[in-house]
Amino acid sequence: MSELRDIARAILADGRARVVIGWEDARRGARPVFATDPDDADKLIFDARCVHNLVTYLNPRRDNVAELGKIALVVKGCDAKAVAGLLREAQLGRDDVVLIGVRCGGVLEASDLGQPLALTPENVAPRCHECDVREPNLVDYLVGDPQPDPPRPAMTIDERIAALESRPLEERWAFWTEQFSKCVRCYACRQVCPLCICERCVAEKTRPQWIEPSSHARGNMSWNITRALHLAGRCVGCGECERFCPVGIPLSLMNRKLQQIVAERYGYVVSDDPEKPAPIGDYRLDDRQEFIK
Amino acid sequence: MSSRRSDTIEQGAAGAPLCAGFEPRLTAFVCNWCTYTGADLAGTSRLHMASNVRIIRLPCTGRIDPLFVIKAFERGADGVIVSGCHPADCHYTSGNYHARRRFAVFHDLMEFVGVDPRRITFSWVSASEGAKWRDVVNEAVANVRALGPFDAYRALAPEDEAPEDGAPEPAGEAVPTGAARSAS
Amino acid sequence: MSRIGVFVCHCGENIARTVDCAAVAEAVRDHPGVAFATDYKYMCSDPGQTLVKQAIEEHKLTGVVVAACSPHMHEKTFRRACDQAGLNKFMCEMANIREHCSWIHEDRGEATAKAIDISRTIVEKVKHNRPLQTIKIPVTKRALVIGGGIAGIQAALDIADGGHEVVLVEKDASIGGHMSQLSETFPTLDCSQCILTPRMVEAYQHPNIKLHTWSEVEKVDGYIGNFEVTIRKKARSVNEDLCNGCGDCFGACPAKRIPSEFEAGLGKRTAIYVPFPQAVPNIPVLDRQNCTLFKGRRKGLKKDACGKCKEACLKGAIDYDAEDTFVTEAVGAIVIATGFKLYDIGRDQPEGLKGYGEYGYGEVPDVIDGLQFERLASASGPTGGAILRPSDGKEPKTVVFVHCVGSRDPDKGMAYCSKICCMYNAKHAMLYKHKVHDGRAIAFYMDLRAAGKGYDEFSRRAIEEDEAEYIRGRVSRIFRDGDVVKVWGFDTLSDEQVVIDADMVVLATAIRPQDGVKELAQKLSVSVDADGFINEAHPKLRPVETNTAGVFVAGACQAPRDIPEAVAMASATGAKVLGLFSADELEREPAVAVVNETTCIGCMRCALVCPYGAIEQREICTVDGHVCGHTAYVNPGVCQGCGTCEAVCLSKSVELETFTDEQVYSEIMALGQWE
Repeated sequence: MSELRDIARAILADGRARVVIGWEDARRGARPVFATDPDDADKLIFDARCVHNLVTYLNPRRDNVAELGKIALVVKGCDAKAVAGLLREAQLGRDDVVLIGVRCGGVLEASDLGQPLALTPENVAPRCHECDVREPNLVDYLVGDPQPDPPRPAMTIDERIAALESRPLEERWAFWTEQFSKCVRCYACRQVCPLCICERCVAEKTRPQWIEPSSHARGNMSWNITRALHLAGRCVGCGECERFCPVGIPLSLMNRKLQQIVAERYGYVVSDDPEKPAPIGDYRLDDRQEFIK
Repeated sequence: MSSRRSDTIEQGAAGAPLCAGFEPRLTAFVCNWCTYTGADLAGTSRLHMASNVRIIRLPCTGRIDPLFVIKAFERGADGVIVSGCHPADCHYTSGNYHARRRFAVFHDLMEFVGVDPRRITFSWVSASEGAKWRDVVNEAVANVRALGPFDAYRALAPEDEAPEDGAPEPAGEAVPTGAARSAS
Repeated sequence: MSRIGVFVCHCGENIARTVDCAAVAEAVRDHPGVAFATDYKYMCSDPGQTLVKQAIEEHKLTGVVVAACSPHMHEKTFRRACDQAGLNKFMCEMANIREHCSWIHEDRGEATAKAIDISRTIVEKVKHNRPLQTIKIPVTKRALVIGGGIAGIQAALDIADGGHEVVLVEKDASIGGHMSQLSETFPTLDCSQCILTPRMVEAYQHPNIKLHTWSEVEKVDGYIGNFEVTIRKKARSVNEDLCNGCGDCFGACPAKRIPSEFEAGLGKRTAIYVPFPQAVPNIPVLDRQNCTLFKGRRKGLKKDACGKCKEACLKGAIDYDAEDTFVTEAVGAIVIATGFKLYDIGRDQPEGLKGYGEYGYGEVPDVIDGLQFERLASASGPTGGAILRPSDGKEPKTVVFVHCVGSRDPDKGMAYCSKICCMYNAKHAMLYKHKVHDGRAIAFYMDLRAAGKGYDEFSRRAIEEDEAEYIRGRVSRIFRDGDVVKVWGFDTLSDEQVVIDADMVVLATAIRPQDGVKELAQKLSVSVDADGFINEAHPKLRPVETNTAGVFVAGACQAPRDIPEAVAMASATGAKVLGLFSADELEREPAVAVVNETTCIGCMRCALVCPYGAIEQREICTVDGHVCGHTAYVNPGVCQGCGTCEAVCLSKSVELETFTDEQVYSEIMALGQWE
């Protein structure tokens, strides 16, 4: 922790960045903090409650954040992948942000559990099981001790997907239509996603109105499927969308399924190397086309 | 495959009997240079086929967005066909390669969500493959007929919320009252 | 407010037999936005078109839908009619109720219902059509020809004679290509150099042709009518302006044993050399790889190890310190004429091809290829035109010619026929027999492809007059056995194995595209086929165009070609280029993508997928010049209108005119009304 605070303090003091965005202790857990003064660096923490993906603040459309000046961002491995996504899509240059990487051993499923808890199969975020970047790459600084692997959750996301896929088509349809009938179109999933960066989301386009804005299952189906497709090859699996969803739709199942699809078909795993091209927008002559007559 | 519908009625899913006389409605999104021209050739060659398909012309499969397919289902299509040039033959060089990836992902996701993949037919039909177009049409229609109507999709919206008919008009145009969709 | 006119055509009986056209017109008449609907027997006829024009005027139509045949048939016809009546022609569309309806269905009720649907759908689309204007782009009336073989030379001459400047780029030291290596040409057996060199000289002296030899295309920017090409002029080490072609330099050069590329490896040259005596330009080039002085410099010698050519040159034209230079040329059209090379049967093969272990991987002495035979036969070749075998200089008395080495062989990676080998093998057999009267010329063939004018008669002469022996069958092995080359073959017509003790074997190896063509194609945004040949725009109707507007193709780089075809293609590209240059501005269809700069966030996914490189990133600046963001920008001159950009754009910030989202949406929505 002191390493993190020292670096943040130094960066703010000598002007390498105007604000350090990281996590701080809050009454009920951890929460994002914007440290603009070197003294504020003492607020910075990193523990298993730091589930938030702070890369969402790098969205160029967040004018109020951009106004603060050059950002130094504290990132876990999954967060760094999101930064790579933004670099890949020309939303910022590598020199526009300072990245302070933290070694991570997994986070809790929710951040508002009071004091930092030891991770158990019941409270660990299921997505941490798939993580391949406990030590983030792409960063300017790397702090923290090497962490042990997180405990295996009771059921991994892949297992839950497999369970769903073992059910017949009609049951899957019933499952998803029921889930999507809950959606109230608050768009929290979109707002918190670091890769949902469009100035004008297609869901807000009215001429023509591809996605019905009403929150019935039909419009919700269109919205959620479209968002999932738009994230194919881009989603970093940070799980924030599901964490934020006020009605508890298991979005991680859908987004992880898309990760599985691009991995299986195109050998693509979302990477924190911005040079690696995204799978959609790329093609190979021998791409599988078994579903095409 | 015979083109007369009475010869090709098959059992529905799990052997359930079908609605008598149900004729599915299919929307086809095709590329101008290959499949549209192939369909023209089918016409010039007088190759008869099922009449359930309505073609929407696009310049290239690269232009086809999954949103088109979703919207077609929302509007009551029971099945959709997406067709274009064979790989390496795209008039615009690479549009179909991008479409191929886009639709592979869409196809897998639709199946995950519980939409029967037989409702969406993907094909490569070249400008010289009039007979293949006929076969694709007939097979797609037969498949969708066997699956039954896809009212389930349209009905995800409650009756009073979903507009029955009428395409949106540009400003100033009266909203049509239009005939209600006839029962099939 | 839409006022659309719908015209339902009977097409005689073609539509009316199955579709109740009057009923279609009636059903559509009540459709919102339709101001006028009628049916008529022959819409494309003069009175039919007049009907459209009158209706436009009388009913103040804002759009026209002709429900008839396929738009591929008559869209232009009706658009022209609308244009003549004062209605923007892009407000006119066709509803295909013939090829897609009346011709493929029998049931009148079904067909009529479908025709109504189709017509309504297109009416809805037209409500969102926009009165677009054809796009006009300026044209630089200069052409670039890449490749100085016979095709390139012909194209350059035709364009230059047509009054426009041509930049001709050739990567070798001289123009002429493979045709300059040939001894005689079929079917006339006239001397190749004799018919070629006058063309070479004409090209060199033509006031409209600017020649860059020993040069390659480095970079191509721009689009049709407006290309900017960077050419790398490789260091010749000889100043082209000072050199007078006297030849004293290569006379003095001590390095005399370098295999000559022109002689296909059968002869030797010096380090500073002209490739052949009739080279154009007659200016030598210094091969720095094999030059004693440059070898010394690479070793780090303080003092140059040689300098004889410089000493010998009275004009002071030798410059050992010359470097590659770059020249930029602005052109409006490009012709690709890079020609071919022969397939090498050796072990070292590019991906997808295999060598011929059966024939010894090119390591068996006295097994040569067609170009090498040409050099033997050539009066100016390494043997002065005598047919002597390379290993010991003896006159071979039995020569075996093997057809289809690599060609028509999917196993080796080349399934195609190389077209010219049957003819040149007959020619080689004849030339051999003319020179070695008591020799045996034996040819193993699969088929005899002699389809050109005078070709069959020519190849028959080889057999009937010159007694060449043709055996229908393939050769399974070729290997050295003491003094002879053993050839194991099979005669399929007599069903017997054949073993021949040959003195020399000539392999008709496959025609392949030149080295570096793939990279060149990428620079030009043209595609190559699975075999590496440049792709034409359409195999039947557009054989000399590529899918990139303004880039044309001629000769063997597109597919194996003989000389008359290469010349014909070259002249065809000349015609295309001159047509392109015939107006000061180019008009093209406005089916281009347009970016909505308000909503675009500049992620450039569109640029990634554009097949033509038509999309670039542009900065958005505030009023005082401060860069505050960037968006995509589509160059309307380059965009060909595929729409892939629109489908990958997550926020739908780029629209393809003529197939906008609104248009497609309205068609999908219209189908929700179908009966």
